[in-house]
Amino acid sequence: MDQKLSQLVEDLTTSGEPQLNPEKMKELKKICKSSDEHISHAYHLLMTQLNQEHAEIRFSAFQIVDELFTRSHQFRTLIISNFQEFLELTIETDHEQPLPPPKEVAQKLKKTAIKSVQAWHEKYGEAYKKLSLGYHFLKQNKKVDFQDVNVRTLAERRREEEKQKRLDNIYKEKAKRAEKEMEEMSQEIQDTLTEMENCFRLLMPDPFDFTVNDTELDPVTERTANEDKPTSSLSIQIADHQPSLLGHMDDEQPCCSKDLPSVSPCLIAGRNRDLNEELGLPEQKEIDRGERSEAEIIAAAATDYDDYETFVRNHGLGSHKYTLNLEISTDVKVRENEDNTAIINNIIDAHKLIRNKFLPSVQSWIQLFTRAGINDGCLRCAIDFKNKLETAMEKHKEMNIDYKERKRKVMKVSDNEDDEDEFVEVPEKEGYEPHIPDHLRKEYGLEPQSSPKALAKGMVVKPALLSFHSQSKKNEEELDPTCAAATLKLIRDKLPKLPSLNTSASANPEPAASGELDSETGKLEEERAKAPIIPFGLDLYYWGQDQPTAGKILKFSSQHRFWAPNEMEEEVENKEVAEMLKSRCITFSGKFEPVKHKCRAPMPDGRLCERQDRVKCPFHGKIIPRDESGNPVNPEDKMREEKKRFEKQAEQPEWQDPEFMREVEAATGVDLGSSRYSGKGKGGKNKGKKRKYPNLTDLKQEANTSRSRLEKKVFNKGAMKRVVKAMNRMDQKKHEKFANQFNYALN
Amino acid sequence: MLAFISARQAGLDDPLRLRRAESTRRVLSLELNKDRDVERIHGSGVNTLDIEPVEGRYMLSGGSDGVIVLYDLENFSRKPCYTCKAICSVGRSHPDVHKFSVETVQWYPRDTGMFTSSSFDKTLKIWDTNTLQPADVFNFEGTVYSHHMSPVATKHCLIAVGTKSPKVQLCDLKSGSCSQILQGHRQEVLAVAWSPRHEYVLATASADSRVKLWDVRRASGCLITLDQYNGEKSKASSEAANTAHNGRVNGLCFTSDGLHLLTIGTDDRMRLWNSSSGENTLVNYGKVCNESRKGLKFTTSTGCDPEFAFVPYGSTIAVYTIYSGELITMLRGHYNTVDCCVFQPNFQELYSGSKDCNILAWVPALREPMPDEDAAKQRLNPAFEDGWSSSDDEG
Repeated sequence: MDQKLSQLVEDLTTSGEPQLNPEKMKELKKICKSSDEHISHAYHLLMTQLNQEHAEIRFSAFQIVDELFTRSHQFRTLIISNFQEFLELTIETDHEQPLPPPKEVAQKLKKTAIKSVQAWHEKYGEAYKKLSLGYHFLKQNKKVDFQDVNVRTLAERRREEEKQKRLDNIYKEKAKRAEKEMEEMSQEIQDTLTEMENCFRLLMPDPFDFTVNDTELDPVTERTANEDKPTSSLSIQIADHQPSLLGHMDDEQPCCSKDLPSVSPCLIAGRNRDLNEELGLPEQKEIDRGERSEAEIIAAAATDYDDYETFVRNHGLGSHKYTLNLEISTDVKVRENEDNTAIINNIIDAHKLIRNKFLPSVQSWIQLFTRAGINDGCLRCAIDFKNKLETAMEKHKEMNIDYKERKRKVMKVSDNEDDEDEFVEVPEKEGYEPHIPDHLRKEYGLEPQSSPKALAKGMVVKPALLSFHSQSKKNEEELDPTCAAATLKLIRDKLPKLPSLNTSASANPEPAASGELDSETGKLEEERAKAPIIPFGLDLYYWGQDQPTAGKILKFSSQHRFWAPNEMEEEVENKEVAEMLKSRCITFSGKFEPVKHKCRAPMPDGRLCERQDRVKCPFHGKIIPRDESGNPVNPEDKMREEKKRFEKQAEQPEWQDPEFMREVEAATGVDLGSSRYSGKGKGGKNKGKKRKYPNLTDLKQEANTSRSRLEKKVFNKGAMKRVVKAMNRMDQKKHEKFANQFNYALN
Repeated sequence: MLAFISARQAGLDDPLRLRRAESTRRVLSLELNKDRDVERIHGSGVNTLDIEPVEGRYMLSGGSDGVIVLYDLENFSRKPCYTCKAICSVGRSHPDVHKFSVETVQWYPRDTGMFTSSSFDKTLKIWDTNTLQPADVFNFEGTVYSHHMSPVATKHCLIAVGTKSPKVQLCDLKSGSCSQILQGHRQEVLAVAWSPRHEYVLATASADSRVKLWDVRRASGCLITLDQYNGEKSKASSEAANTAHNGRVNGLCFTSDGLHLLTIGTDDRMRLWNSSSGENTLVNYGKVCNESRKGLKFTTSTGCDPEFAFVPYGSTIAVYTIYSGELITMLRGHYNTVDCCVFQPNFQELYSGSKDCNILAWVPALREPMPDEDAAKQRLNPAFEDGWSSSDDEG
């Protein structure tokens, strides 16, 4: 019976489960019920288990105690006679005796124990003096709050409070600092916001201000202004099938120059008639300054058209029954050009400032204030700032400003446009001339052909100089809208801008030749890019030359001054040396190619090996193609793997089942070497213990940290011995050295 | 018991024998009784207890927060259940309360109208019990560890005070002055005790591990310095001091007859000395755990056949027979270090104070109830019933 009792207690306490096995528990209770003898035996067994340094064992033991406590008076007296120790082991009343790991279970144990003690006290406190004493002790000395679910001791609570206080102080301090910072910064933020707001206003007036604007501005200035900041892209579709003048200008061949001037007056007139719409033409952006000034002249003239009859006539429209559909797209797009550069620059700066500096800091202020629990004007102020900044950012986003690349813009104004002008003017040549000699090129009105390198540079400067005269003249022509030059100019402006090199190529009178050249240079470039760069050496020094003396060695077999054996050849040609002068060794290391495949051998935990070795995985051998589940694809690989597994099994014959052997060992006390077969190579004793209570959390496993492993290595007995030996040897050496001196000889 | 009574009836026995036998039996059966409680007043550890010797009815307790409480121990309710009431107390709000921990309290040996208390606030106060006002205050240079008034003195009214200074001071209640100094110790004096047999004999124990016996009429020096080796070892090096312990000596107690002296030290030993010759009796009590940094108050029984010593031992109280050194029992009940215990000789009760703020009463257990009474008691206390469920399969 006793044997069974102890077996039961051990089984129950080492199950490692949060609930006791009801079957076993019933059995245990039956035994305990039979006599007081058994109860005291069970009590001692349980106390032993409660003393174990494992929270799970203690927890299970406590659960059994709880069960028996409510049932047996004998058991109660026994437990209460040693209640101090019981509390120490379950509720951690002694600080020097903390509950053992694992931590979660220990916490649970403590919680349950406190709950149980309270329940016990309610039920039995009157009858058992020590129980009520213990309860009061917990309540008054240990300040256990029996209502508190978290079961924190007084010290813990105080620590928590102190921590909270400290944090609060820190936050308050920070908040104060932030407040000061905010005060300093608020002016700046306000300024930036105002600046940005003004910039926006300049770029795009508020749609509700338009009427005001209209009356205020005289049409001409308004017109230019509108070109700068169009609020809407407009496409006008004239109802009948007359080719759309504005929207599709790019695709169309301009049929006559007459069409062109009709555009702007129409617009102006439209505006004058209070269309109340902002007519931003994307095309107009492309119109360059010269043309615009010309248009302005017309516009100025157009203001006089108050009578729309005359307007219709003047524009050759014939009728005014055209329906004019204005589509105002809501997505605003602001393009950058030289007129609004300054404003946009300003916006960019402000935007950057807000994004990188103000918004994060405002965000952090708000966070600080909320954390510090400050709920006054500061927080409101910060939130206000945040909102304002965010609206500004939003607005900026809505503006959809099309920035030019900052770098390109600078160049563009000066030369890019001029370049294009040059090329376009060149008259087309009918005949095909594969090659134009350099000296003739001037006659052809071409720039002198230059190497691709010079091309880019020459293109920029030379043509400008060359055709400066013609250009100025042309500009004059372009001002006249009736002139073909103006039309040409317009078309040119509409043409998609090609990369400068291409433009030059297409504009070249000899497209084939230039194409050839182009491809040739391209090839050259390619090869050059491929060619390795090597340091200068002898071989380069003699590149392409024949060295008469190279590789020849002068031999003087005799050192004598007068006579020498004449049959001896004086010069010996050494092929190797000659070769050396002409050649060079360059080690070719190849290029690194990252490995794309994975080992993908199945691992014991069900996953596939993730190693990316090139040829061979250190764990799974040669890398072979495998399917999704990690099985080899090739049958021979499969065979091999199978064989290997079989061999491994064969190594450990069945009768040597480690489990069985260990049992035999335990029974006989003879070492049969079962530990040899234990898979993880742990000590036999450890293994045996683990096997004994497989359900408990292994505390040692948790201690397997890098530190502990290092400790194992460093504080290894063998290692210590070696170190000591080495140090002793060093000491010895000193002694040997000074052995003849009496004061060293002694120690 | 019945035999003793019949013998007493027949006049065969000395009355003392019956009394001794019964009190011994009672002391041996001391236990924590649920019927006896002491009111919980102290909010911190209880350092010292004293029961007045006149009636044995009132008990003083001194707490480590300076509070002094007066309890009535007598049970006049005619019920077994009794909670010792606190009659009055010198609480924290009292204007003359001790600022720091009260280390010793003692009744005036002759009547209950006066008591003394000494504290770490460097004072010794003489209190009027009825008004709870200090009648006199003695100030010292160092913290006061212990003081004692002779229980038998008729010709003097001296209080011996052990303070942080190595000098033992004698305060005369008649003149109200520190009239006399006993020099000889090298470190603080942790315990002082007057002999209950000779009114001029004083024993002092110090942190320099020495115990000295003095005759206060002789100012030149002490009578004896107790030597744990009885002079055998110290012969070799004559100048080596005689030491009573190998650590601080922090407890001192005469047996009730005053013939022997018990000392206890931080070397975890207790020694019994012949108080007249200063000889170590070499009684082995085994290890007596003692980690106290200050004075430890332990006590002995009176009127028992083998006399007993009650010694705080960690969170328990160890009961030893004084002359044989046998550990009788350990009284478990406190949840923290026990600092003091005091014996009530009239009813053979023991009171103990601990750092867990409790004062526990250890009362002799009643005789085993007769079998027929058993059932009645069971009915009285349902908590003692077993709670096994009746059906077998439920367990």
